[in-house]
Amino acid sequence: MTQLTFTEEIVLLALDDKTGAPLHLPVTALSYGLAGAVLADLAVAGKIDTDPERLNVLDPSPTGDPLLDPWLALITAEKNPRSVAHWLSVLADRRAEIEQPALDRLMARGILRREDKKILWVIGLRRYPTVDGQERTEVRTRLGELILGEDLPDPRDAILVSLLRGCRLTDHIFDGPEFAAREQRLATLAKMDLVGREVASATTEAIIALSTAMNASVPHM
Amino acid sequence: MEITESVLHGTPFLVLRGRLDGLSAPAVEEKVATLLSSGATRLVFDCSGIEYASSAGLRVFLSAAKKLKTTGGRCGFAALSPPLREIFEISGFLDVLEIHDTVESATA
Repeated sequence: MTQLTFTEEIVLLALDDKTGAPLHLPVTALSYGLAGAVLADLAVAGKIDTDPERLNVLDPSPTGDPLLDPWLALITAEKNPRSVAHWLSVLADRRAEIEQPALDRLMARGILRREDKKILWVIGLRRYPTVDGQERTEVRTRLGELILGEDLPDPRDAILVSLLRGCRLTDHIFDGPEFAAREQRLATLAKMDLVGREVASATTEAIIALSTAMNASVPHM
Repeated sequence: MEITESVLHGTPFLVLRGRLDGLSAPAVEEKVATLLSSGATRLVFDCSGIEYASSAGLRVFLSAAKKLKTTGGRCGFAALSPPLREIFEISGFLDVLEIHDTVESATA
């Protein structure tokens, strides 16, 4: 089976199994999740490194992956090292430029297919159902066993769990009672990657900001 | 980063001194790979001299521990320096890795 990038995996797992419709996630959660996935892909490619204060470029030469190289070039062009939170914010604002090429590649790989429908004969509706669901089933099974068991994760799985929890996708993917009982284990695994932790912080802050704005707009009786 | 290999009580241990980051992590990874391919089933890292560890450094530690556990072996992390202990705590590594106060106790 082809090794997908984190970006492709997040895009794939953010779609409903049966319909191919986007899963319902909190505001901007997927934007931060995809931004984090790009940073994670660049990190495992040895192009960048991170710590709680900053993100450093290790090797500015292109990866050869068109899904990643525009973002590596953008980060490299910044003169002063900035924090992971800064780059999450920058990349999250450009979600469509990350998401659409990843969807296109998943279709080219034969993992997704595009389905265009009309609602009420007028409103266009685009969906991306899986062709046979093999990749999604594989990652769900592998990560599910990790969450339900006590094994150490390998670094790649630790990053993926952390990203998925950071953008709240774990609520959809691992939603049975057996997973509810493993919340502490999931929290421990999710802490293990810095980018995933920053995705979680950014998502939570966005939810709080939206909630505060909504409360402020409700007229007081 | 300075990497020194030694053996105590029949267990190989690596003394790491300096910064464990994306630039130095490949050398540590290579050293671990060499030890594993020579049949080591136990490995201890002496972490007392680590001044800094980035995400790339943490991935090397996790990868080594995972590889050893998968083959039925053990991987210990001894004498954590204060900066490393702090980053291990933030990352939850204190909860999942085998931590020892000293190399002596890790290799016993």
